[in-house]
Amino acid sequence: MRKIFPVLLIAILATFAYAGEIYFNSNWTLWSDPDILIWTPDKEPAIDVKEFCLSLRRANSGIGNPKCRTFGEWERDSLAVRYAGWLSANMEPNLEAGYLKARHPAMSAKIQTLEDKIVLFIADKGTFLQIAIFDETAATPRAAGSVRKNPDKVALGDDIADTFFDRQTKRRLSREERLKKQAEPDDFYKEVPNFRAWAGVSAGYAQAQLPLTPDDWYSSHTGSKVRNYRITKDSVSLWNFLDDSGPLFTLYAGGVWYGFIGGEVFYRYANHDMKTDSKDSIYNELDHWNFSQHEIGLNVIFSKDFDPAKWLDIHLFGFLGFQYSFYVEDIGLKDDKVKPSKAYQSRIKFEDVYKGALLGGGSQFVFAEHYGISIRTGISSRGKNVYSDPTPDAAAEPTTIGASTIDWFISFGLEYHWSL
Amino acid sequence: MRNVLVLMIAILACALVGCSQSFHWSKAHPAYHKAPYGELAVAGTQKAFVLTRTPWFANRLNISNDSIQLQVTALCEKYALDELRGGYAKLDILPASAISHFPEESQKIDERIFLKGKLPEQGVVVKDSTGNVPPVILLIHEVIIGTDLKREDYFDYSLIHNEAQTKKLVENITAIVSYTLWDNIKQRPLFNAIDEIQHPVKELTLEDMNSLMKEMVQQIRSNLYLGAK
Repeated sequence: MRKIFPVLLIAILATFAYAGEIYFNSNWTLWSDPDILIWTPDKEPAIDVKEFCLSLRRANSGIGNPKCRTFGEWERDSLAVRYAGWLSANMEPNLEAGYLKARHPAMSAKIQTLEDKIVLFIADKGTFLQIAIFDETAATPRAAGSVRKNPDKVALGDDIADTFFDRQTKRRLSREERLKKQAEPDDFYKEVPNFRAWAGVSAGYAQAQLPLTPDDWYSSHTGSKVRNYRITKDSVSLWNFLDDSGPLFTLYAGGVWYGFIGGEVFYRYANHDMKTDSKDSIYNELDHWNFSQHEIGLNVIFSKDFDPAKWLDIHLFGFLGFQYSFYVEDIGLKDDKVKPSKAYQSRIKFEDVYKGALLGGGSQFVFAEHYGISIRTGISSRGKNVYSDPTPDAAAEPTTIGASTIDWFISFGLEYHWSL
Repeated sequence: MRNVLVLMIAILACALVGCSQSFHWSKAHPAYHKAPYGELAVAGTQKAFVLTRTPWFANRLNISNDSIQLQVTALCEKYALDELRGGYAKLDILPASAISHFPEESQKIDERIFLKGKLPEQGVVVKDSTGNVPPVILLIHEVIIGTDLKREDYFDYSLIHNEAQTKKLVENITAIVSYTLWDNIKQRPLFNAIDEIQHPVKELTLEDMNSLMKEMVQQIRSNLYLGAK
């Protein structure tokens, strides 16, 4: 190891010192075990063809067993000779690939029949060599540049290999594999699945105040406390009685047809403490008083798909739904208290069930077609059942407690997706 | 606040309707630095000229409808070349055979604008009748002469299938010229352009045709200068 290190250091320094200039370099594929065809308009190639293969193996350890030879077919072809002369006259540092296109249809046809061989164009310009690389995918060079001329042909080959062939290699496909790959549909034309379903769990946070809205819209509800087990300033919102902010958990499952419209069922759970006034001595008997909020409902979902990468699908969606909310009371006296107060016995009661609506939107990020994370936000409401029959004395009835309980929520979920 | 809203609606409407309909009508090669001066070769003029709406021209110029196409295009070619001769001390007019055997190719000028014409092959230099190699050649691909024409209708591929309505009342005679300044040494197009020249007419005479061709050549020359970077 100690002996190799200085050699390596010199090799690295030499790479930087002699590295050529790249005019442009697109994403061409360097195969492992490649066939490199050396094509030159000069009488003799400026590099040693056999030595160049060794240079390639020194420059790129993943290249395997390259085969190099001069491209006699093109050097004898008058059309290719003309294009080679033209290319050598036209290659300049600031010209993009499009300006170096082989215009003659027969010449571009020749390039297209290269299969997976790589053509290395080398033209001697006296003080430097022009280098261009062709493959079957384009009638323009895929890479172009120059290296400084060096009388040592081995060093020259090393320079070219270091400058242009120092990249990741890919395994060459067999003839059958190539044919199969050609018949494979392009990802770009991937069809939207007929049906996509998901199930997930999410955790989030809810509060009465909508973000970016003023505090004083809510302060009459959120600021109030419950006196004497039932008295508040106002009773139209449950947030007069219950602490509005807290964690929210959801279980849900849904599906979307044709990447556009779908539905979702959900169950949401939250726990809200009663806002008892600690200064009120009547609560001395009380150990705890809170309500579990259970909600079930149905959303209609409108979705839009995006496919930024093969391994990632993004589904933006908006939803609109309804829910039934149930508040289950959990109250307990202190152990030493045997008989509760009168106020305790006539404490506030909420409706059996509230009917409400949800509105919101979010996004699902699905990795490897199945594993999703999602974010969603929206507002949800709980109100009285508006479909109850009106009675003649409806106007005289007291306001339903909690008939306008609205909150904002945000949640993050883990999902599993299927598509058909 | 309201003004901002109005502006945003205007921008949105603009984006939807696509009112940013502007075209580029010329394209220069990055290596085009110097317009030809004093010396120029011209090719393609023998087959480039086309006259549209021939009956209208035949009536006004008192030339029979059968021969108007030949006569007027030959005249226009002569007018244009005369004007070019005035601009370049040494004007080399290449024979039609110099480029007629090359295949026709399209060259992109703008998103939807393509110029079509015959370009010499890569690696092949064009020689004049005496065997000299002119360094640059002005290739005239097509000169369309007519009345009140618009170049979009001929060169924007989204519009070329539209049938232009022939206006009864003629305001201008028009020449639409597409051309390439060709680097004969390195065989590359230095400058491609499509120009539209309108010349107002009341009573059409051959003198009007002459001025139209003069204006066309002046336009080409000024574009060649402006296009050089």
